Amino acid sequence: MIWAGVLIFAFLAYQLFGTSIGTNRAQNEAEQQLDTIFESAIEELEASGVPVPTDPPLVPTDVAPTLFPEAIPVAGQPFARILIPSIEMDHVVWEGVEREDLKNGPGHMPWTALPGQPGNAVISGHRTTYGAPFFSLDEVKVGDSITMETATGSHVYEVREILIVDPTAVEVTEFREGAWLTLTTCHPVYSAALRLVIHAELIEGPNFDFVQHQAESVEASS
Amino acid sequence: MRKLYERLPGPAPVRVLILVVMAVVAFVLLIPLFEWAGTFLDDGGVIGALVDVGPGLRI
Repeated sequence: MIWAGVLIFAFLAYQLFGTSIGTNRAQNEAEQQLDTIFESAIEELEASGVPVPTDPPLVPTDVAPTLFPEAIPVAGQPFARILIPSIEMDHVVWEGVEREDLKNGPGHMPWTALPGQPGNAVISGHRTTYGAPFFSLDEVKVGDSITMETATGSHVYEVREILIVDPTAVEVTEFREGAWLTLTTCHPVYSAALRLVIHAELIEGPNFDFVQHQAESVEASS
Repeated sequence: MRKLYERLPGPAPVRVLILVVMAVVAFVLLIPLFEWAGTFLDDGGVIGALVDVGPGLRI
């Protein structure tokens, strides 16, 4: 009986505190590297000849706005930062949603759009273990802002929809017209039975004009 | 615990040291079990994480 108690106590201590030690270390290291990662990504984009937001405008403003693409992040490496001011959340985001990726912090699903790009960028994160980056995600309200910082700049999203779904509800990760950010985490706290999903729409950033123009073009043609 | 302590060889400080080492080893051996059990508390919140269909692919 005593041994069972010790085992349960050790399990809970490991899950709630032990797993966060490595996550906090990885986050601190990534925080130091993020500016260098952004600079390398911009150099990569410039070398490949694609427009970057720091370029002076080359075209008159009355033509279609430019799309600023993002450099493809390296799998298993940090590449962005997510900030949710309403819940005082600030974490470095990794590329990938494998178990090892999510031990470092929130992870981006590689087969979805990159943050700030047209489509649906999906980011998943732990709710109670490994630093619990999305612990307070249920306190986010419709209308709150979420900022994603990437090599191309700051992309501000506004929360439009909050859902509770099954873990197999893959439709929430599907492509969306416009530019969207989808956050997913476990729900309720201390259970992996369901998923808390937040859909947010781009309202500001280097690609906002492009996305708006695209939406207006689709509307005009229909 | 007391029975285990009494079976250990050496003077009291050595016995305590052996107990501490045994506890650390047991904890390290238990980590994989804890990791597996922890997925019921929190599996990372990924959508469609229940079935692995290949490297990097999940449905």
